[in-house]
Amino acid sequence: MKKDELLKNEKVEKQLSPHPLSFMRYQSLSIFLVIWGVLVGWLINFSGYKDFFNNEWSVILVWGLVLLLVGIIASLVTIRWSIFFFYLGVLAGGVGLLLWQGWQNNVWIFIPFYTVAVSIIGFLIVEFYRRSHKYFITNLRIITQGGISTKRRMSVNYENISNISEKQGVLGQIFDFGTIIPISKSGLGLGDDQSLAAGGIAVGGDKSKLFGFFGGGQEVKTPKSRTYYELHGVYPFKNVRKLVSQLHHEGGTITPYQQEQVTFQKEQVDIQKQMRDLLKMQTEPKTEEEDEEEKD
Amino acid sequence: MEGSPIDIIVFAPLAPLLGVLLFWFIQLVFIESEKYFLSTIRPKHEPLCRFTNLLGIIFQTICHALGYTVTKSGVSEFYISVNYGRVAPKKEKKGIFEWISNAFLFIGPFFIPAFLLLVCLFFLMTSGFEITTPAQLLESKYTFAGQISTFGASLHAFAKGFFGFLFNIDLLHPGHFGFLLLLIFLGMGIRPSYIGEEKKEKVGMLYDLKNVWSLIKNKPLYVIILFLMAYVFFYISLFLNQNWYVGLFSILGWLSIISIISLIVADMILLLIKNTDEIPGFWKILPYITMPVSYILMRLLFIYFPTEYTNIVSILVMILSTMVVTYLLLRFKTNKFKTQLDIKSLKKKSKAETDEER
Repeated sequence: MKKDELLKNEKVEKQLSPHPLSFMRYQSLSIFLVIWGVLVGWLINFSGYKDFFNNEWSVILVWGLVLLLVGIIASLVTIRWSIFFFYLGVLAGGVGLLLWQGWQNNVWIFIPFYTVAVSIIGFLIVEFYRRSHKYFITNLRIITQGGISTKRRMSVNYENISNISEKQGVLGQIFDFGTIIPISKSGLGLGDDQSLAAGGIAVGGDKSKLFGFFGGGQEVKTPKSRTYYELHGVYPFKNVRKLVSQLHHEGGTITPYQQEQVTFQKEQVDIQKQMRDLLKMQTEPKTEEEDEEEKD
Repeated sequence: MEGSPIDIIVFAPLAPLLGVLLFWFIQLVFIESEKYFLSTIRPKHEPLCRFTNLLGIIFQTICHALGYTVTKSGVSEFYISVNYGRVAPKKEKKGIFEWISNAFLFIGPFFIPAFLLLVCLFFLMTSGFEITTPAQLLESKYTFAGQISTFGASLHAFAKGFFGFLFNIDLLHPGHFGFLLLLIFLGMGIRPSYIGEEKKEKVGMLYDLKNVWSLIKNKPLYVIILFLMAYVFFYISLFLNQNWYVGLFSILGWLSIISIISLIVADMILLLIKNTDEIPGFWKILPYITMPVSYILMRLLFIYFPTEYTNIVSILVMILSTMVVTYLLLRFKTNKFKTQLDIKSLKKKSKAETDEER
């Protein structure tokens, strides 16, 4: 962050970026590809089942089916269809390249190498994406930014933060990184978790049919944000959490203008107190001792 | 059938039990050594220590939950973190049920990881699961000596098969490689004692033994019932002329052997980490590169010169080359063996440095 981007009297307390393992959600897609690439290479070239894969299309079929199956399972578990489409893309790309280049006779070498190569590209993309994230904790606000092609940036002042949400998974607990979501008063940092249930029934023979449908839905507000709008996978988590909590608790450092206002208000209060005392002295009746002193 | 009635009725059932106890004690000693290595590398490898803690805690909490499930107490709360695990029962049960759940908690973590490895071994090992009495002891099979010999013979057969498998492990076979990783990870998890951020003196081998001893001491009646059940099981096996009794304890013995081997492998890895920590800069990575490179080179070599000892020779070369590289690095890149400066000169140098600082 450049100096001219900082506000007057603003000081950067900590500059952070996500931990290399904090994007494991995406990295695991590539890890699976590496494992499957090696496994399929062993299966079709060295294992006891290699005779089963004499035909090149049987190799492509088994390789593609496993990819799609894992994609569907992962998509259902995480409720993210992008995983399925990613693996579908890998499959389509592989088959397309194979047919385009006419490498059908080399499928036993091509498939394992292609799978591992795609996974390496996947790792690199995730790494570039991770490195695009930068977080700045200043004495006045939290600034988050990220994105490879489209740069996204957000800053939230401490006085506008209503709550701070923290999340630390198993890997985070082991490597001491975690995610901090500042929830603003306007609701930034909050998302919805939706669960839906639906069912249908059809009764009757060939001619008459009765059809009914019922369903239901539920919505829960939960701390959720994009990785470039939160402090995603920051390390060391304990220290960052302490710093953010402390700054949030203090509501940010008082600016010089605010300091002047406070001093001015204090002076005003002092003057008013003096005036009150003077008025009191004038209005209160004099005691006997005071009268005698005056006579003397 | 040979053997005196007292030997058969009173002493013979104790034989496999004592055998299992012996192996369990050896297991405890190796757990202590692993604890020592982990505590020495903790400052530089906190994540690894946290990971091993997590593994240990996972097994401990699973065993605790298993104890509550077996005793039908139910599980109302199940929480696992890197620092601690918590399991709460739905119904607080006293007496024998509480005792059984505690037994699961204290003894289970020693055997559950090994049991998982045993399940894998059933699919990977071709022999070693036989429980047979040596031919010369068939007549005195149900005596103390016969029982301990049968126990020993089954352990010998298993250890032979297991070592045969380990030394012929094909690291280019995904199943074998996965098993090795599991062996190392579970070896690091067979450790109910926690390595915390702060050293806790009371957590250790003696603490574990104290827990088990208090379990026995507090409810001696339950222990007696357990012994009686073991004796009854022995008599049933005796009347039906089956190896069931010694077979049951042999399985526990196998589990102990697996635990000990996995602890030794984990200890070797930890020892390597501890030694490479002393090597400065980039050189410390060299032993870790040597390991796969030497193995793959040997395997490639054996493609052109095939022999039946391909796997074993490749593994031995891998281990030896890693050891040699580590030794050479320690010798030439550090002063661990006092080759660069002897102790007297080292003392002088450090004294001079301290004086300079003053």
